[in-house]
Amino acid sequence: MARMKFLCDADRCIECNACVTACKNENEVPWGINRRRVVTINDGKPGERSISMACMHCTDAPCMAVCPVDCFYNTADGVVLHNKDLCIGCGYCFYACPFGAPQYPKVGNFGSRGKMDKCTYCSGGPEVDLSPAEFQKYGSNRLAEGKLPLCAEMCSTKSLLAGDGEIIAQIYKERVLKRGYGSGAWGWQTAYKETIAI
Amino acid sequence: MTSASLPGAEETTMSQKLKETVTPAFDRRSFFKALGAGAAVAATPAMVTPAAAVDPGKEETKARYQESEHVKNYYRVNRY
Repeated sequence: MARMKFLCDADRCIECNACVTACKNENEVPWGINRRRVVTINDGKPGERSISMACMHCTDAPCMAVCPVDCFYNTADGVVLHNKDLCIGCGYCFYACPFGAPQYPKVGNFGSRGKMDKCTYCSGGPEVDLSPAEFQKYGSNRLAEGKLPLCAEMCSTKSLLAGDGEIIAQIYKERVLKRGYGSGAWGWQTAYKETIAI
Repeated sequence: MTSASLPGAEETTMSQKLKETVTPAFDRRSFFKALGAGAAVAATPAMVTPAAAVDPGKEETKARYQESEHVKNYYRVNRY
């Protein structure tokens, strides 16, 4: 059985934020919530790295372990989804997640968080597949349409990989073998001479 | 020194005496005690049912991923 995974090839990410925009547009994510974001390390300095982050659909998800109302569930594809009808907006999953994936609309009165929202791996939620109710709560269900998450499909440099974990890991290994890694990569010496080594 | 000679001992006896004489048959304390007992009885369900986690069901957890032509094409172009 294929397990769905994301893999960001940090050597290719150019921080264009197209994945963030594609996700927001495809799923009609409300203001104030970003299911995906690009994190840049050493911004503006030599050796700068960017990585696109969202829910990593953990095999042993900590959000699922801490949820007091058991609103999370794992699909046969290994995607971690949640039921917004059960969510009480307690925020435990936000504290448990090492990637900061769960987001809250914060539209309720008296500072309440509202129903949690996170990346669904473009595979909707517990509602009937491709129904308007599913779209309204969770966004599009591209997996049911025989497609992959739009963030990965839109990536211009093919940095963000999505799909069967084994296949994308193989693709990444092939890339690393071909280009080298870090300062060993093709073109590195031309760009930086020998001043920077990582 | 005996207890009767202690300052305030007389007052205690006085207040005790006053309580004995003034206490009605159904005072404030016993009223709230009765109210609490009633509420506890009302809150206890007739049959205690065990708590169960929500089962999302087979339809919700089924595999949706398909290795369609679209997906195969995606894998092919990512190998470049």
